[in-house]
Amino acid sequence: MAPPQLVANYERLKAEVVNPRADQKTIGQLLTQLKIALTEARLLIPGSNSSLEDLVLTRDVLELGAFWSVRNKDIPAFDRYFSQLQTFYVDYPTQLPPSPREYPLIGLNLIRLLTQNRIGDFHTTLETLPPNVLGENPFIQHPVHLERWLMEGSYNKVWQEREAAPSEEYKFFVDSLMKTIRREIASCEEKAYDSLPLSDAMSLLFFTKQSELMIFAQERGWNVNPSTQIIHFARKTEEKIEIPKQKIIVNSLAYAKELEQIV
Amino acid sequence: MDVDTKPKPVVSVPTPDAEKPVVKAEPIAPNVEIKQNLVLIDRAVTTLEPRFTHRVLRTLTHLRKKLNDEVLSKAVEETYTKDSPAKAALFQYLSAPAAMDIDLPNGDAKPQPVVVSDPLPEGDTYIRLLILLHLSASKETTEKAMALAHETVERIQALNRRTMDAIAGKIYFYLARLYEVTDRLAEIRPLLLAAHRTATLRRDADSQATLINLLLRNYLHYNLYSQADKLVSKSTFPDSAGNPQWARYQYYLGRIHAVQLSYTQAHTELLQAIRRAPTAKTAPGFWQTVHKFFIVVELLMGDIPDRALFRQPVLRKPLEPYLQIVRAVRIGDLSHFQSALQTYTAQFQHDKSYTLILRLRHNVIKTGIRSISLAYSRISLRDICTKLSLDSEEDAEYIVGKAIRDGVVEGILDHQKGVMVCGRKGDVYSTAEPGEVFGRRIGFCLELHNESVKAMRFPLNAHRKDLASSEAAREREKSIAKGIAEGEIDDDDEMDF
Repeated sequence: MAPPQLVANYERLKAEVVNPRADQKTIGQLLTQLKIALTEARLLIPGSNSSLEDLVLTRDVLELGAFWSVRNKDIPAFDRYFSQLQTFYVDYPTQLPPSPREYPLIGLNLIRLLTQNRIGDFHTTLETLPPNVLGENPFIQHPVHLERWLMEGSYNKVWQEREAAPSEEYKFFVDSLMKTIRREIASCEEKAYDSLPLSDAMSLLFFTKQSELMIFAQERGWNVNPSTQIIHFARKTEEKIEIPKQKIIVNSLAYAKELEQIV
Repeated sequence: MDVDTKPKPVVSVPTPDAEKPVVKAEPIAPNVEIKQNLVLIDRAVTTLEPRFTHRVLRTLTHLRKKLNDEVLSKAVEETYTKDSPAKAALFQYLSAPAAMDIDLPNGDAKPQPVVVSDPLPEGDTYIRLLILLHLSASKETTEKAMALAHETVERIQALNRRTMDAIAGKIYFYLARLYEVTDRLAEIRPLLLAAHRTATLRRDADSQATLINLLLRNYLHYNLYSQADKLVSKSTFPDSAGNPQWARYQYYLGRIHAVQLSYTQAHTELLQAIRRAPTAKTAPGFWQTVHKFFIVVELLMGDIPDRALFRQPVLRKPLEPYLQIVRAVRIGDLSHFQSALQTYTAQFQHDKSYTLILRLRHNVIKTGIRSISLAYSRISLRDICTKLSLDSEEDAEYIVGKAIRDGVVEGILDHQKGVMVCGRKGDVYSTAEPGEVFGRRIGFCLELHNESVKAMRFPLNAHRKDLASSEAAREREKSIAKGIAEGEIDDDDEMDF
């Protein structure tokens, strides 16, 4: 059984999280204390003889911790919480009552993978979800749509969808997502246009102020003509085709060697 | 062998599909065959030649259909000594009363040869495998089959004999199969993992290969791709494994890599799986499943599968949904794609290819843009929008921009006029591409040649004869050389003249 001190701390944590004026630092300290207590009670990594209530308690603590770390933009901590939670979601699906926070957390994790451009992991996670959840759950639908539009290039839709996040926490990832999108769009523009008026570039990149655009243009090394207000993209000059001597020699020698072995 | 002297008629088992294979029309009574097989296994053990065991195991598929309680009790009766404990244990699993004097169908009066000793453990395991096969055929006996399988696995691990590996692999396979049939796959995972560790330590390549495949299948059944991936990276698949196991392994690898978006790798692996798989007629299920994934991966890579593939008799019907998808991708028609996807959703979900097919959406768009860029030298974004049934012009602009960046089309966007100006693709033959492809193909052929040379089998000691003759040849050569040396002098002498 979980020690009373642990349960008391857990109740305090629950109260603090709901409290809108709560101090984030206090929650952080509470979480640390709880994690130490859980480890001592051998609950952090569930064994076979833990009671159901204790497991649910542990899961709740970890879930709250995961949300807290997202709110404080501590992504590595979120990663740790989430991998600890995996055990509860994957190995105890029938024993434990389903958690209402499971899919929001999975959705958050999906967005995180998306912003870090880990598309392979993103899809691996998607495969583990049952098809009806994939098609209906709003928390999962959001990242799935985002990914599809990113792959297609419908950046416009991504921009609009950003406001329609299903829960508060999702917005914490929006900033980094926007950075990813801008980078993508910018690289497309460099290839697809010869030149682009400043005002159009601003709307394409979803900037509201010209100064922001100028900073961005500088970062990418674009050539802005101040009098005509037009951005010129440096075309890559036709690269000279060189004969790959080294490679041809290596290949021919290999053929000769193999042929000699055969004959 | 007394096996051969037995009268062979006994057309007791007219199997329904007996009229098809005309080639080997000489049905042997199952009991005779079991006996022959036991002899072969004995020989395999004494000569340490796994080839014979493999030959025995190849007969399993067709022998399986002929098994029944009667045949098996008789086999047990004939193989074990009169009151061996093993016999009694096995009879527990057979429902037919252990009637000793079953009237034999061929009614031969020849007295049964008296069995003097129990068979070798390998033979024992083989008999158990047969009983296991029979028990797992019907639902009522599944429990019994599981008990037998567990008992046999324990025996195998205790005995630890290398000559048993091939049969052990089969036992593991059917044990896992039983768990799959009863939908309890998750429970057997620890046992399989432990068995795999043991097999690896004992360098038991056959069981190792089977077990890795079973584990992968187990993980993929629950869509645990990351675990499966970890297993693959942490274990080594034995090179000496048989073709069927290799085919399965490649197929699982292909599926894992397809999910992780490494399509090129997945493509090679699935292709290997297809090449290594038995022909379409012997294993139609595997053939169909691999092809389903192969087609989807090929589409994801931006290629269109060969039309002839869908005309093969085994593949035509199950691949029908995939054909619709391929058609939609080929012409770049999004609405056709959506409707095909909706019609066959259940089928795709059952095949576990649904999420992969969902990813095809942007491939459809890309193909659409490419075909437009080939047909037009200049087209407005609005027209692209209507042609590809996209939602808005802004979307079209971003999508075309991305396509240009990804190198799908050659062209330039003009934002003010809202048009795409298409360029011409350069000549491939002016690049190093053909040379690279040529190099790859030559490499493949050379490797094939080397592999075939390695795979050749030579009879033992046959080289002695060659050695002897070469010895003689060398002698002859020496004398000739001598002769020439003398002759040379002669020549020189002549020259002098």
